[in-house]
Amino acid sequence: MEQTQSGNGGAEAVLNLEPSSSISIAYHSLFGPHDDLILLELDEKLLPDILQQRITLRGQPDEDAVLCTGSKTYGIKFVGNSNSVFLIPPSDQTEFCENSLDCKRKDDDQQGVASVIKVAPGNMELVEVAPRLDKLKLLLSENPYTFQEDLEMEDLEVVEKGNTGLYKWDDLVEKVQASDEELRSELQALSAVEIGGYWRIVDVKYMDTILRMLLHNSVINDWSLDALNEDEVVSMLESDGYPHKLAHHCLHVYGNKVDENLSRQVWKLDERRVCVHFAREILKEGKKKMESFMKEWMQKIPEGMQASFDMLEGEVLTERLGVETWIRAFSVSSLPSSPAERFSILFRERPKWEWKDLQPYIRDLSVPGLSSEGLLLKYTRRSQPTQDAEPVFSAR
Amino acid sequence: MQIRVKCKCGEGKCREWAVVELQGVVEAQPAFQDRLQNLEIGVLCRPSSQQVYTFKVGYHELTGSKVALKKPILVLHKTKHTHTDVGTHTNSSNVELQVIGIIRHRILFKTRPKPLISKPQLAVKEKASATGAVASNQTA
Repeated sequence: MEQTQSGNGGAEAVLNLEPSSSISIAYHSLFGPHDDLILLELDEKLLPDILQQRITLRGQPDEDAVLCTGSKTYGIKFVGNSNSVFLIPPSDQTEFCENSLDCKRKDDDQQGVASVIKVAPGNMELVEVAPRLDKLKLLLSENPYTFQEDLEMEDLEVVEKGNTGLYKWDDLVEKVQASDEELRSELQALSAVEIGGYWRIVDVKYMDTILRMLLHNSVINDWSLDALNEDEVVSMLESDGYPHKLAHHCLHVYGNKVDENLSRQVWKLDERRVCVHFAREILKEGKKKMESFMKEWMQKIPEGMQASFDMLEGEVLTERLGVETWIRAFSVSSLPSSPAERFSILFRERPKWEWKDLQPYIRDLSVPGLSSEGLLLKYTRRSQPTQDAEPVFSAR
Repeated sequence: MQIRVKCKCGEGKCREWAVVELQGVVEAQPAFQDRLQNLEIGVLCRPSSQQVYTFKVGYHELTGSKVALKKPILVLHKTKHTHTDVGTHTNSSNVELQVIGIIRHRILFKTRPKPLISKPQLAVKEKASATGAVASNQTA
């Protein structure tokens, strides 16, 4: 029988076994259960992330761990295998070659021997999942940034020790099960801002004050809301007593950068966001009659902006009580992002939904591998009294 | 908690591990069951230039082939460092995961074992017959 050339044969001798040759397979001198050896199956396309160490596992001890790349989140599940899977490491795998005598013995052996370190009971698999971001909102809501805090702390960059309910980026990464990219875009969606190293949500009332001051300044100075000069706006707000960071944040929350010139940054206020803000302000205290809401809303909208009821999709619900139509706040942004919880709250709110009302409250739901039709099939019952009637959705 | 998956493979390739997979379980004779270390399981043979392999385990022979995995499998090594903070007497443990290898192929034996009529000669020497390993088919 031909002898293998690789000396003490490990994995390489098995994988490169020459035709008309053989190798003995034996239990390793350190054979055992080796629970510290984990097999993880993953897509070829994730390998570069692994090689460049961009992969992390995230989760608290009481949560199921997720695996995150720079931009995606994966659930991890164990898949058992009833076959015997003999694992053979390369011969010079340092972890298992501490016993040099043992390795030498194999060297001297006439025939190559490949050693099995473990019989693997199965392996881990990855399933792409939606990031678990609801916790981020909870964490940031513990201690929103208020006007009061501005008075107490003149210098925003001063970081006080022992601040409760305050989180830095590194704290968020430890606590929230989402990839960096998903976390960043959710921070933006929540209009969070980094102040003194901590990620904060600014109190709605405070934001309202700053926005109204900004609009007031625009009227006085005859600025166009479509072309606000960042330097002018921010320095004016600063002279009104608002911190630079928050003045800047106000432009971010209610506007879009339109022109990135070398010397001046120009912003355009977003009509929808500004109008929605004032609608929320009006409905903060509770439901209103439609006519009085519309009247108040139109009064609050800044000059030059056009409010339309469509803007309030996913923000308000209307209901008819007798001859009156009432309107109240019900914002999609306040609802959980897991489909099961979302639908349960929606059906508690209203047992039956028409499609046009329901759609704004579920269009943001994303479950990898499940279409929006799939979601509806899974969580709702669809009924259509007559052929040309609008379909109505109720709880399953 | 965040665990960064470490990998010292660098830009090059990770070291490839081998997998020999067969149906059912290999049982050692009772005398050897609690000291399997260094015991021979069987002899893997590649009779021709094709990717066909035989695996002789005791008086049985399996025939199988080398197949590429659809997706690679990483071999991760988990290490736990426990620190005890002297001041607060609190234990914090630090888990580290390191990629130590990759599996891209397996030599798969998915058929029932064929009994060898005559005593196998070359491969199974005294040591092997002492093992008396038997491939029992549970899942065929």
